[in-house]
Amino acid sequence: MSVLSRPWNRLTVGGKILLPLLALVVLLTVLLMVGWLTGLIPALIGLGATVITDNIDILRFVAAVTAILLFTVPTAFVIIFMEMKFIAFINLRVGPNRTGPWGTLSSVFHGFKVLAKEDFTPTGADTPVFTLAPVVTYLAAVLGLLVIPFAPGLVGLDMNIGLLYFFAVSGLSVVGLMMGGWSSYNKYSLIGGLRAAAQAISYELPLLLAPVGVVMLAGTLSLNQIVINQAGWFWDWYVFQQPLAFLVFFIAATAEGNRTPFDLTEADSEIVAGFATEYSGMRFGFFFFAEYVNVFILSALTVILFLGGWNAPIDPAPILQFLNVTINPALDPGSLGMGLLFVLGLGVPLLILLLALPVWMLKSDWSFPKSLVVAFILFNVIGAGLAGVWLFLSFEVVVGLVWFTIKTFTLAFVFVWMRGTLPRVRIDQLMGWAWKWLVEIALLNIFLTAGAILLLQELAR
Amino acid sequence: MSGPLAKLPGWGIAKGMLFTLYRFFSPKVTVQYPEVVQEISPKHRGRLILLYDEAGNLKCETCFQCAMACPIEIIDMGGVDTKNRYHVHWGPAEQYAERREESPLRRSGRPVPDRSFQAWRSIDLGPLDRILVEEDYDPRRMLRILERTQQAYDHLPVAALQHISHATGAWYSEIYGVATSYPHLRFEPGRVAEIGICRCPTCVMLGAGRVRQALEEALATEVGGVSPDGAVRLTGVECGGESQNEPLVALDGQTQPGMTADRARELATSLRAGTARPGAA
Repeated sequence: MSVLSRPWNRLTVGGKILLPLLALVVLLTVLLMVGWLTGLIPALIGLGATVITDNIDILRFVAAVTAILLFTVPTAFVIIFMEMKFIAFINLRVGPNRTGPWGTLSSVFHGFKVLAKEDFTPTGADTPVFTLAPVVTYLAAVLGLLVIPFAPGLVGLDMNIGLLYFFAVSGLSVVGLMMGGWSSYNKYSLIGGLRAAAQAISYELPLLLAPVGVVMLAGTLSLNQIVINQAGWFWDWYVFQQPLAFLVFFIAATAEGNRTPFDLTEADSEIVAGFATEYSGMRFGFFFFAEYVNVFILSALTVILFLGGWNAPIDPAPILQFLNVTINPALDPGSLGMGLLFVLGLGVPLLILLLALPVWMLKSDWSFPKSLVVAFILFNVIGAGLAGVWLFLSFEVVVGLVWFTIKTFTLAFVFVWMRGTLPRVRIDQLMGWAWKWLVEIALLNIFLTAGAILLLQELAR
Repeated sequence: MSGPLAKLPGWGIAKGMLFTLYRFFSPKVTVQYPEVVQEISPKHRGRLILLYDEAGNLKCETCFQCAMACPIEIIDMGGVDTKNRYHVHWGPAEQYAERREESPLRRSGRPVPDRSFQAWRSIDLGPLDRILVEEDYDPRRMLRILERTQQAYDHLPVAALQHISHATGAWYSEIYGVATSYPHLRFEPGRVAEIGICRCPTCVMLGAGRVRQALEEALATEVGGVSPDGAVRLTGVECGGESQNEPLVALDGQTQPGMTADRARELATSLRAGTARPGAA
């Protein structure tokens, strides 16, 4: 208690932190007791509960948006890392490998670097618009994520017009690009912005028209329902009924996400990122964060529309039935009673010892503590693996999430792979490709799909 | 692939994607420099090239620093006179202290006889010409040409290198640079001693592993390779089950009895030292 009797400037740093905290705890305790005794706090809690129950939808929306906003950060980091590493592999390099294991932290440090840079606004720039442009671009990407169903029941907002909402919101990114180009007070940025807008708007058309066939087949605009319609084996996926639409959509998505070979909006080797020329620091970072979030979103949307979303490619039920196997992973640790305590208390150390013995015997030059540490890591890996298997077998959500993640990141890999392979196209080729081919093919696909549906109805009658 | 498939739209894209996928899984060429130092032939001196500026003028200022620093004295700034009789130097006389008396001659721009010059020993160019024809005088196959030349002449005579330079159009200095870069190419006649070691289970039980490790350390190569100075080749031989008490180690086909790891290391080191040449490790 000498901390209380000392003058403030004689305290250590720890004391200077501890003393205010101590005072705060005392104050809060007193306040809580007084509030509880006078009945003020229970009343407040009751009021809060009613407010929450009355506005549960708003709260759920806010929670979903926050969760998705937070979700974009690691996703973008993973995709940025994937891009750095995989393009390096394609170039026969090893890529980032210094920060973190296998360089996994390098994109995090890129983030820190961007944060630490000066956030610069050019003289003459339209400051509010200039500041808002990256936010608009980023929000367009993040809000699109809101309707993406990750797994059965795991969707930010299950809208019945999900697809429409998605395109409406992601179309906002054009506004962001235009804002950035316009407000920079730089004619090259303006040209870059216009160029980006021209590309984005041109490719919005086939991007919108291609899924119309899918919508006609599914009979709904709800992304969740579209995924549910594709349940079963992998040949139930819409890619096999709509191969043309899939191709058009994928190409248009490449252009819409500003990915090579259609990355003319940014074209870092030629027009130094066009509309974003005047941006620095985190505002520049947001533009590119948005791009990588877009890669994820477009991959996810392609997976949802054409590749069965969170559905597994095989339906395990008939196979299990054929093999006469039933999987019942339900665990009931409570049934062990006091035994559970023994299992937790003794079983874990015993298992680690059991794992350490063969390690120690095989690696004759390792000391026993070293083998113990390795065994502990091994135990954790095995335990996490078993827990993962148990989760996979017990919860539909986990199964769906696993398949969705695998498919989405495979497609993201294809985007990276294309970037490592294909050269950038010319602007006239880019525009011609959209207007002369993709739009027409998408329209043809709509007619074909409609005809096929009518034909099937006639035949069924 | 050509044919009807090649006319398919997107065929080129598919081919490119397959190629990059193949590269994706290929072994990587990066050397993690501070931790791993790439093995370079100890006699390697880089590619000796004279640079030109944008206007096409030689950037060399004839300071002779390079010629003085060159440990193997390959840099010789001069040439042969028009009648191919004298070796001449065109640089400032001050760099040639020992030939100061010739400086008025050189300053006047006239060729100066170099008494210490000896013409390259001539060789029979027949085998080399055959090799060059077979390799299509292609400078891109330089390594193959040099390897075959060494096979034909036992080493790389200067006359052969000059002939290759004339025939392929590659600069002499570049050819020389390539030749220095590879440990197995040598510029002087020399015999490669061959140490064989048996790796059968019996010999391994008798200690062939330690002998092999010692040899590989001393020769800085693995079984099947040549030591970086080109002096000793390490190969595998078969004892045919005849080893009784010790692993079979053979020097040029002769069994070396009583070979332990230490003695093997001594043998390898002395073999390398015996053929050591200036400019070679």
